[in-house]
Amino acid sequence: MTADRLAQVAIRGYLALFFAYLFLPLGVLVGAAFNASRYPTLVPWEGLTGQWFADLLADRLMGEAAWNSLVVGLGVVAVSVPVGTAGALVLSSLHARARTLLYGFLVSPILTPGVIIGIATLIFWNRAFGVPGGLMLTVVAQSSFIAAYCMLLVLARLERFDRAQEEAALSLGASRLQVFRRITLPFLAPALYAGAFIAFLQSFENFNTTLFVVGTDTTLPIRLASMVRQTMSPSVNALAVILIATTVAAAAAYEVLRRRGR
Amino acid sequence: MSELRQSVVVQRMVKRYGRVAAVDDVTLEIERGEFVTLLGPSGSGKTTILMAIAGFVQPTSGDILLDGRAITRLPPERRNFGMVFQGYALFPHMTVFENVAFALRARGRPGEEVQRKVVEALDLVQLSPYAQRLPRQLSGGQQQRVALARALVFTPHLLLLDEPLSALDKKLRADLQLELKALHERVGLTFLYVTHDQDEALSMSDRVAILREGKLVQFGRPRELYERPATRFVADFLGKSNFIAGTAQGGDGGTLAYSAGGLTLRQAVAGAPPAPGAPILVALRPEKIAVVADTPPDTANAVAGRIAQWSYSGTHFQLLVDTPAVGRMIATVPAWRCRIEPATGATVHLGWDPDATVIVAEDASADSPH
Repeated sequence: MTADRLAQVAIRGYLALFFAYLFLPLGVLVGAAFNASRYPTLVPWEGLTGQWFADLLADRLMGEAAWNSLVVGLGVVAVSVPVGTAGALVLSSLHARARTLLYGFLVSPILTPGVIIGIATLIFWNRAFGVPGGLMLTVVAQSSFIAAYCMLLVLARLERFDRAQEEAALSLGASRLQVFRRITLPFLAPALYAGAFIAFLQSFENFNTTLFVVGTDTTLPIRLASMVRQTMSPSVNALAVILIATTVAAAAAYEVLRRRGR
Repeated sequence: MSELRQSVVVQRMVKRYGRVAAVDDVTLEIERGEFVTLLGPSGSGKTTILMAIAGFVQPTSGDILLDGRAITRLPPERRNFGMVFQGYALFPHMTVFENVAFALRARGRPGEEVQRKVVEALDLVQLSPYAQRLPRQLSGGQQQRVALARALVFTPHLLLLDEPLSALDKKLRADLQLELKALHERVGLTFLYVTHDQDEALSMSDRVAILREGKLVQFGRPRELYERPATRFVADFLGKSNFIAGTAQGGDGGTLAYSAGGLTLRQAVAGAPPAPGAPILVALRPEKIAVVADTPPDTANAVAGRIAQWSYSGTHFQLLVDTPAVGRMIATVPAWRCRIEPATGATVHLGWDPDATVIVAEDASADSPH
């Protein structure tokens, strides 16, 4: 066996291990969702069942948490996309020094630990203004850093924008508002859709920030955490299967649409 | 229509960026219906002047007048000037039709009028079959025409063109030069054109303004600029030129005698000749030099030298001739009547008439060559 061949085998072996590390837990998790055992486990296999999915659908609290997550997610999208876009527009119109400064300021929420953002939001709004923890405050807390992601996406797109298009539109007699609506916005559209998508996902899976500001309400990740802590029901696995399937389907749909658009 | 063809005046415009003056006290008067070109190398301020007229650059001082009225502070969207941008700046998400309709829709014109005017404008640039295409589905030349139609459809006061042909290849550029000139004659609008290409400037313009380091050097008809350049820069930038530095001796009967490199040369002068002893600079076009092999030519000026280098381009020979008296000279001779057989090292005589040359001024600047 030559050294080359040895290296090849080693690389393949490493890859196999790597993918096993990534996907084996998911495989076990998905398998356990269909096992009739009362515990979330693959062995011993006690027979195929849809019981845990039925349990899940019957769980009113879970339904409520899912609904809350959806509402918060849409709320975050509604706040983060406009705020992030505005930030990106301001940034792209600034010059060197001011730009670097403001950029650092706007991106800093991404670098701040989620826990800190959660606590800070709670203290600021609750102590100072008496706003109670809840879905409303969750939207505010999550948006404070998710808006930065939207800003980065829009900013990246703006870098490729030919500003002469805006000048052309102005020279053709369009007002500043018309220029934004008919030239800038259509150009930014893909970044806005991507931003909305990412904002929603970020919001939907957020746990650590949400924990501090959600009050007596509950979102899906919060509900999941408490379920895992209290009992070990395979319906948690069933939920995971649904989330994985939804995510994969959404990603595939996005890719198909994107390819058709080009 | 004619009352809309305004004349534009740039009055003592200055534009500073920090301590650098991009435009330094430029005054330009453009007449109705004229095709005027701002010509200069990069950094000469030509684009800054165009952008100030368009309204995208605010002059540090000075004014832009339209029909005698200052529009310096008027925002670009209220100036009603058509503009063709260097990269065309077509709207990529709109069809050709919608691109051209943009100005009319922005003005809230009724649909019937939009339809009619867009069709007219597309006819003008021969693009009617492409109305429903997207810009990226068109060639560079076609995109250029869309940009023109878009800038003309709303009957602007004037048309500004910022190096509109620079992105095209040479052949297409020559075709579009002719088209642009024909279009100018058809629509009768004032065209203000910016370029660094001297051929474009000479072949299309009624008048050319030559700019250098933010200053207006000379403004006149193309032929006048080529034949009677005011300064060394103009003579050098518009075509090629040989320069002979000499000392004035004396003039009589419209001819000035001057000494250069031990020779006495003659220069035709119209007005009062420079005082004897004054330094002068004479520009001589390469194509105005006669080249003969054996005996000195019977022209008023004759200089002998050796061919240092030569090249053939089909239409003419270009000779680089080293002369002991006036240094290296460039001469171009039409190939079909070249009376010598060019060979490196061969001795030749250069001859020219007193009215073939022109006295030019040195350009006043810290970094001009001396």
